[in-house]
Amino acid sequence: MSEAVLYRSVSFSYPGVRRRALDEVSLSVPEGAFALAVGPTGSGKTTLLRAANGLVPHFTGGTFSGRVVTGGRDTLDHAPRHLADVIAYVPQDPAASFVLDRVEDELAYGMENLGVAPAHMRRRVEEVLDLLAIEPLRDRSVRSLSGGERQRVTIAAALAAGPRILVLDEPTSQLDPQGAEDVLAALQRLVHDHGMTVLIAEHRLERVAGFVDLAIGCAAGRTTVGSPAEVLERIDSGPPVARLARMLGWSPAPLTVREARAIAGRSVIVPEAPVPAPDPFSPGAALLEADGLVAGYAEREILHGIQLRLFEGEVIVLMGRNGAGKTTLLRCLAGVHRPAAGTVRVRGRTPRPGVDIALCPQEPESVLYCETVAEEIAVTLRARGVDGRSEDELRRFGIEDLAARHPRDCSAGQRLLVATAAMVAGGPAVVLLDEPTRGLDPEAKAGLARFLRSVAEGGGAAIVATHDVELAAAIASRVVMLAAGEVIADGSPMQVLGDSRVFAPQMTRVFGAGWLTPEQVAAAAVPV
Amino acid sequence: MHPVAWIVWSAAAGIVAMTTSNPFYLVVLIAAAAVVHSSHRRPGPSSRSFRIFLLGGLGAIVLRTALVVFGTVDAENAAAAALEGSRLAALLVVFGTFNSVADPFGVLRLAPRRLHEPALAAALALSIAPRTIAAVARVRQAQELRGIRIGRLRSLTALAVPVLETGMEEAMTLAESMDSRGHGRGRRSRYRPERWEVASGATAIVSGVCTVAFAAALLAGRGGLAPSTFPLRWPDVSPLLVVAAAGFALPGFLPAGRAA
Amino acid sequence: MIGPANARPVRTAGLVALNLLGVVAFAWPFVLPRLLPGGSLHERDAPVFLLAMVVCLAGVVFLDLDRGIGPKTVALLGVLGAAMVALRLPGFVAGFSAMFIVVLVGGNAFGPSFGFLLGAVGTFASGLFIGGLGPWLPFQMISVGWVGLGAGLLPRGGMRVRIASLAAYGFVTGYLFGAVMNLWSWPFVARGSTIGWMPGGGLVANLRHYAAYYAATSAVWDTFRAVGNAMMVLAIGAPLLRTLDRAAVRMRLDVQATGREAPPAEDR
Repeated sequence: MSEAVLYRSVSFSYPGVRRRALDEVSLSVPEGAFALAVGPTGSGKTTLLRAANGLVPHFTGGTFSGRVVTGGRDTLDHAPRHLADVIAYVPQDPAASFVLDRVEDELAYGMENLGVAPAHMRRRVEEVLDLLAIEPLRDRSVRSLSGGERQRVTIAAALAAGPRILVLDEPTSQLDPQGAEDVLAALQRLVHDHGMTVLIAEHRLERVAGFVDLAIGCAAGRTTVGSPAEVLERIDSGPPVARLARMLGWSPAPLTVREARAIAGRSVIVPEAPVPAPDPFSPGAALLEADGLVAGYAEREILHGIQLRLFEGEVIVLMGRNGAGKTTLLRCLAGVHRPAAGTVRVRGRTPRPGVDIALCPQEPESVLYCETVAEEIAVTLRARGVDGRSEDELRRFGIEDLAARHPRDCSAGQRLLVATAAMVAGGPAVVLLDEPTRGLDPEAKAGLARFLRSVAEGGGAAIVATHDVELAAAIASRVVMLAAGEVIADGSPMQVLGDSRVFAPQMTRVFGAGWLTPEQVAAAAVPV
Repeated sequence: MHPVAWIVWSAAAGIVAMTTSNPFYLVVLIAAAAVVHSSHRRPGPSSRSFRIFLLGGLGAIVLRTALVVFGTVDAENAAAAALEGSRLAALLVVFGTFNSVADPFGVLRLAPRRLHEPALAAALALSIAPRTIAAVARVRQAQELRGIRIGRLRSLTALAVPVLETGMEEAMTLAESMDSRGHGRGRRSRYRPERWEVASGATAIVSGVCTVAFAAALLAGRGGLAPSTFPLRWPDVSPLLVVAAAGFALPGFLPAGRAA
Repeated sequence: MIGPANARPVRTAGLVALNLLGVVAFAWPFVLPRLLPGGSLHERDAPVFLLAMVVCLAGVVFLDLDRGIGPKTVALLGVLGAAMVALRLPGFVAGFSAMFIVVLVGGNAFGPSFGFLLGAVGTFASGLFIGGLGPWLPFQMISVGWVGLGAGLLPRGGMRVRIASLAAYGFVTGYLFGAVMNLWSWPFVARGSTIGWMPGGGLVANLRHYAAYYAATSAVWDTFRAVGNAMMVLAIGAPLLRTLDRAAVRMRLDVQATGREAPPAEDR
């Protein structure tokens, strides 16, 4: 087998940064591989991906040494555009990468640049429309697509030009579990049926670990290559089943639910999950009460009569597929979207936005505008008329040492935490977070969990909308499931997640309803 | 309808409006434009331009007539100014119609090869703009959730900086995406160019013929193209030219085709 | 000076030619009668000239672009052009439009030729977006382009110098823009009135007429633009310039690679 991408002692540092993003990396991605680059934020995996088609160093500048050979061409001699016929790159934010307006034109754009003959172009467009199952979207504007559709169109556009290698940076970060599954299955089909080479970076290992056949572990600019099981073990990372395996000393560690079941069946006995007390929170006063919420936009009703109680000390995780109405519900609760009917009360009174209740919207990074992180928090405190210290607010997320930095100099995960801190500073009792986990690495997720605990322990309560099943399993005291604008399930994580085919965490899938986290299982498991 | 057909139609109708200040021809021309607008206007905000331009046309008549106060105010001068104003009004209505019926992306795709990049930049601006507008609304609302009201000039920073920062971020992604997909390799082919259908041909030919009729009348000095205002007289009207002006309504009775 | 559009001196010649043509397109009512033998121009020829100028301008607005401006410039034009489109409608009070702040800071941060392109492309796109296409569009494109071009020629130096000069420049161009934009339609709109164009009437007389016309129809309207431009620059110019400067550095073209020759720059 020959190499699709070959890295030969590649080192790279970004302009003005002393630490190397890549440090003497030598590895090869064989043709026909489905390879995963894995590692925490700042470990160099995005740099590794971008070096494959020459974006590093052609677009970033910086100091580059060594060689990257892609499809037989040296990336130093070939700018990205001169590699476009062999390798395609799909960036993290597909919405910003669209060049043309109509889906069909977007698919053809790459081929137009390569000078493909019109008749051939037409045929190829039809092919990729079928391959990614997006034929019904052909005349739509790319700006009108949902997250999953956008991602599939981006991949189709990358494929249409006929590259042999496809590189994707966190292709599922904006998708619900089912949408993510669809995209990954499509990628797997490309590898298995069409002989493509696929290289992806991904944080949510529980989604991808079962699909890939090669892993590149990244840590501080250095890499290790091997089978996914080996690599994940070496860098001490992996989906929940792999973490459990490490706690119980299984080797090799399983990566998928199926493998874990096989090992669990012969090596441990896990009792029936303990049935939790009917109401673990023995609710005192309801902090937030929403009754009969009906809301929507001019043309369409989104919420059809939502009933919700939030009690002191609770963390509710709000789940449901894209478009189920999670965002609209949070906006109604926060008082920024006027419901057509129904009421929202906090401690029995109409809430004052920002004082009684704080909402951190999606992509909160877009509120940052100050020169330092501390100033960013101070601005909110001043605007809300609250006395307080920025450091205290940052400490709740464990990021107090970022205080003097410029927000732009923080990593993506840190920036999201900073923005969240800026949105919730000043201590409103009710905190609402809309998809706070997009693109978060485990470290930043821990910061978020830490904050949510501090809210609950301080007598407040939080509602977190997320697709991240494993995070839900770790932080939720209650899970509320929305579908088509109605609450379809409301109960403990065990009941709700344990009962779902789509939203069940891995532990539930392996050991049955009631088990949520590896820590829980490890504590209860008895070796055979 | 092919965008070129719309360009020919509006240029021809615009030339006709310039050749005459005879209110009878101009009224027929405006009516023809209204017919075209009502049968071909596209969904979305641009279809409003017909009405806006119509109002603008009325405004032009008023403004032009008001300029009379800088000279002798009498019936003859006022009439002459009003006729000049109606000519402007007709011109505005013609372009209002063009804006409401022609697909802007279709127009941009017409750019010749050497103008490909600026046309692409304009197309990008056009398609990113709704996102920018949404971003402005989103940032504004998010800042208000923090308690920062974007009202005074000073607090504009909290709105403008994040929107621009996000924009620059996206520009970088966009540039990378374009380069990664072979932009600027020198060779280019074109995907599915707009088809030139019978309706497009008919529109272009009829528009041309009608314009030639007016041009001929202008050169021959006949047909009452410029009604006399000194002395003020009832204008002559040639039935042939009325028909020619009405000819601009033709596309209103033709099918729209794929791109409409 | 930084900026992706400045890297190619060859393009300057094209830009100069284009802008000369622009000057002629606007100023012909003053100069042309002198050039023609016997001052044989008639009032009713004005529309013909207008039409000829529209055709010429539309054809050459992008005359200088044959060597390619590259994806970085195209992307920046697209994003900043979108900002102009977004600001064109909601942000206008009489002659003032918030769109100008984008042209002013964009031109100042990325240099004169980028500023010119931004003004032209953004105006074109916003014309398409709001349905404002017409014979006036090439004139708008050129004159907004000039605003951006001039913003790129202002003195460099510290942020204070830049903001002060940009604010003053915005104030002056608030009026100049209106004066130039009115010029294209003046011979046509004010024809036959006592403040209208007099073919063969001489430069001084025509200038006097035009000044009267401008004062009567536009001076108040344009004051909003002049004051608005200056206030916007003073209020948010500095943070916007800082953002754009940073972007210019990040979208750098001066890629350095050690151990080997630097890879080919942006345009081969």
